[in-house]
Amino acid sequence: MIGMRKFTRGEATAYGYLTATLVFCLLPFLWVVLASIDPNASQFLAFPEGITADHFIKIFSANKGGRWFFNSLVTVGATTAIVVVVGGMGGYALSRSEAWWKRPFLYAIILVRVLPPTAIIVPLYKVMLVANGPMGALVRSIVPPDSTRSAMQIFGFVDGYLGLILVLSAMQLPLALWIIKTYFDLTPRDYEEAALMDGANGFQRMRRILVPLAMPGLSAAGLLCFIGAWGDFLMPLTFISSAELQLLPIGLFRAFQRATRVDYGYLCALAMLYMLPAVVAFGLARRFLVQTFTGGIKG
Amino acid sequence: MTMTYETRMVWQNRLLLAPALVLLACFILIPAGAAIYISFTNEALSGFAASHPQFVGLKNYVRLFSDAGFWNSLIVTFAFVFGSSIVGQFVLGLASALALSRPIRFRRVFNAAILLPNAVPEVVAGFIWISMLAGGQYSTLSRIVGLFGFAPQNWLESVPLLMIIVVNTWRGIAFAMILMTSGLSAVPAEVYEAARMDGATPQQIFWRITLPLLRPTIFLYMLVSTAGTIAIFGLIYTLTRGGPGGATEIIGIYIYNQSFTAYQLGYGSAVAVIMLGVSVAIGAVYARVLKVQV
Amino acid sequence: MKAIVLRAGVTVGLIAGAILAAIVISRAGMGSRDTANSGAATLTIRIAEHQQPRIDALNKAIPRIEKQLGVIIEVVEYPAPEKDYLSKLLTELGAGNAPDLFTANFDSDVPDMVSAGYLAPITAEVKAWDGYRQLFDVAKKLSTSADGQIYALDSMLLVQQLYYRRDLLDKAGISTAQPTSWKDLLDRAREIKAKTGKYALLLPAGISWGPGAFNEGFALFVPGSKTPQIANDDGSLNLNGEGVRDIFRLYKTLIDEDLMPIQPLLGPEPWMIPKYTMFPAGDLMVTTCGTWCYIYDWGKGSRNPVPEVTKNVGTWAVPGMDGGASVTISGSSPWAVNAKSAHLDVAKKVLLALCSVDAMVDYAGLIGNIPARKDAADNKDFQALTELVPVLENVQNGTFLRSAPGYSVVSEGVARATEALLRRQTDAAGAQAILVKYVNDLLGDNAVR
Repeated sequence: MIGMRKFTRGEATAYGYLTATLVFCLLPFLWVVLASIDPNASQFLAFPEGITADHFIKIFSANKGGRWFFNSLVTVGATTAIVVVVGGMGGYALSRSEAWWKRPFLYAIILVRVLPPTAIIVPLYKVMLVANGPMGALVRSIVPPDSTRSAMQIFGFVDGYLGLILVLSAMQLPLALWIIKTYFDLTPRDYEEAALMDGANGFQRMRRILVPLAMPGLSAAGLLCFIGAWGDFLMPLTFISSAELQLLPIGLFRAFQRATRVDYGYLCALAMLYMLPAVVAFGLARRFLVQTFTGGIKG
Repeated sequence: MTMTYETRMVWQNRLLLAPALVLLACFILIPAGAAIYISFTNEALSGFAASHPQFVGLKNYVRLFSDAGFWNSLIVTFAFVFGSSIVGQFVLGLASALALSRPIRFRRVFNAAILLPNAVPEVVAGFIWISMLAGGQYSTLSRIVGLFGFAPQNWLESVPLLMIIVVNTWRGIAFAMILMTSGLSAVPAEVYEAARMDGATPQQIFWRITLPLLRPTIFLYMLVSTAGTIAIFGLIYTLTRGGPGGATEIIGIYIYNQSFTAYQLGYGSAVAVIMLGVSVAIGAVYARVLKVQV
Repeated sequence: MKAIVLRAGVTVGLIAGAILAAIVISRAGMGSRDTANSGAATLTIRIAEHQQPRIDALNKAIPRIEKQLGVIIEVVEYPAPEKDYLSKLLTELGAGNAPDLFTANFDSDVPDMVSAGYLAPITAEVKAWDGYRQLFDVAKKLSTSADGQIYALDSMLLVQQLYYRRDLLDKAGISTAQPTSWKDLLDRAREIKAKTGKYALLLPAGISWGPGAFNEGFALFVPGSKTPQIANDDGSLNLNGEGVRDIFRLYKTLIDEDLMPIQPLLGPEPWMIPKYTMFPAGDLMVTTCGTWCYIYDWGKGSRNPVPEVTKNVGTWAVPGMDGGASVTISGSSPWAVNAKSAHLDVAKKVLLALCSVDAMVDYAGLIGNIPARKDAADNKDFQALTELVPVLENVQNGTFLRSAPGYSVVSEGVARATEALLRRQTDAAGAQAILVKYVNDLLGDNAVR
């Protein structure tokens, strides 16, 4: 595995293993790719007799594919930003704190994920509805009546960007807190203390040291948050009703034309569109995932 | 400021933690608490109980414990979590993280490939594997083994539990890999160099140095992955609906099958609470075994 | 401290920027709505609908209604699969935030929604409506709940019968006369198998088929059995009788004698191969289906049509066990009004407008169901739908099954019972026991009488 002498053999094992894993992971997608361009797409793997771009076109012309994509990007992007920042601060605090309630709290937030979403969605909806009332009143008092609807689409808790973003953030926060806390646990405090000794005026220098230090942890948290929120189905389904605000997963339901029929070509085309940002996000984050911190104390 | 350094740090920590606490309290802890309360009522989404929910005490729990389907579901869930999360995803994820930590070409390709299964929503992943596994001779897997001379079969009927374990493993490797990569990178390179200079073999380095240093990350992974796997529903429901004959009726599907027709939130919540209790127990076991302090 | 504020400020700024972009884009789409709203405070009624064909039909009918009533109607699209649709709808109803109008199934949803207080009674408005006289009796009876009130009104009806390949049966020299009893039907099926070697008769069954095992299979034979109604007057369910066992026996015969395809029914989407592949290809001769099949499954809307479908595909009523025949009618998707709607009166008017002949014909053309009103026969556009005209004439002779709260549990129970039969795990009595146990487990021991 990690050794200079067995260099070639170790590398060969690595390549071999990775290739096998690659085949395992990608093989099922063969159907997705082929079906998305197949005019007669069915549930089973088949080489298309003709090629069509209709399914993809249908996403954007007959449906509001572009809009869904944008909505998903905005909400999940904002969610990731919030989670990284709030989780970053919180994870650091949790790592460095000695409070008695630290352990139960951490366990509680992770284990709460065991509750199936269907169990908490109804109380959650009621909470959101309650919050929506005052928000609506606030908006109406500030904004002219013509734009109330638009404003509520952004700031509303139910059927609005803000509500969905906050809910998604809360859902992803536990994992982020854990990852970042674990990461800071592994980081020796020497760096912070060295910076303080250097007279780190205010916490600005702490940030300049802590954030790069924590990059792998923050990136892992951010990436997982993005992927988790991107794939979330149930929250957008429950909280968003207006057509203009729908996210990408909702488009999937359009593939179920009737109770009995699924348009597989359309489903697969949409799936391909869906996978794109996750892959891009991974590419972006990967750089930071493996950054090691060199120098520092000794220098 | 007349506060001592320690007091200042405590207040700083509280301030840093505050936003997270607010979000979690509002959107997770309160609804979760409500769900726990609901488990003691007969609340429903429709029907008479919807407008007149009543407190019924432990009635839901009693019904739960006397239902053979629940116990079957518990066993299936344990097998499922063990096979896919503890063994499958972890081993493959760790191996991937290790393999990719070396200087390898085409790293981006491998990374993307491993990530893709996690990048689609559950429902789509379900359909993808239906295409692979269902339909007897039409399924992709049947065709593949046909090339090697094996008989095509209805995989989801003959080995359903094994199949869902495979599918969930496929889906979750990325998560394990990401976590392990992050954990591996926290190990400073100097440690490896020092070990090598001391003449340690790669196996010794792995088992005596890498793994122990990874323990907190492994613990985190196990905890989160177990919790997440227990709560899985859509993926398996699309594949097997919990059949045949309850062979793949994981707890999420059990809850659904029991309560969907009458939308009995109370009963469903009771099962969820039990699972919560079980997870707490499992978490404690993990902490013990991995000797991790939180 | 300064840095924290700075960071927070930057983050807020970024998010605000994203939101600003969102405002710009959403206003671009919203422009027209706002001006329309700002003019004269015009009322907006929100309707929940799902599944593409229904949404298309609704969108076709709406402009006319909007003009007629002077309101704006907004269609909110809900997810297509029934369960997801109901989950979202019920969550909103429970919280008091649902749209003004929506569809809900008579059998599975309406009784429970009524007892939850979600639906506004529309009895007075419906009886005062001029279309009331034109409604088929079946539609009137289906709409009336146990307490005598009307909470949901159907604009369309589902008419189900047995559909057979007239051309292929003629070619094989098999009689295409209406079967007169279950024995006659089975004999005909055996004849088909003997003379053509193909599958003879498909009845939906099994867990994968879901509620269809009951609604599109089992239920069609109930009126002609010894237990003509499952729902008793007191709301309990008559599942222990001989009639139920006889129907299971019918299934078992078809399965044991290999008269119906079994493998596809055990897998996902069990209807795909038998109805969309086998039937058009002539590998299956008879199946249960409804009027929409002439359009969707085998006609102009189909990917795998049967050529000259109205000529080559004929219909039989479902024979009774010892004689007689029945055509089972059920409600398609009745409309209901949210009890907590802010605009109850207007919503009710919209509902009645959706039950006008014009709206019904819109739906019939796009979906293939039958209008619930007699005077639809006089509508020119409807008369152009030649496949449906003869069926409309026969609606008054149709029967229907009464429902009771918890009826949906029955359909799930039948799915499980027929699954056991498909897997040859039990016999007819055993299947009945599975059904009864399931219903008792979920609804309590007093449910079955």
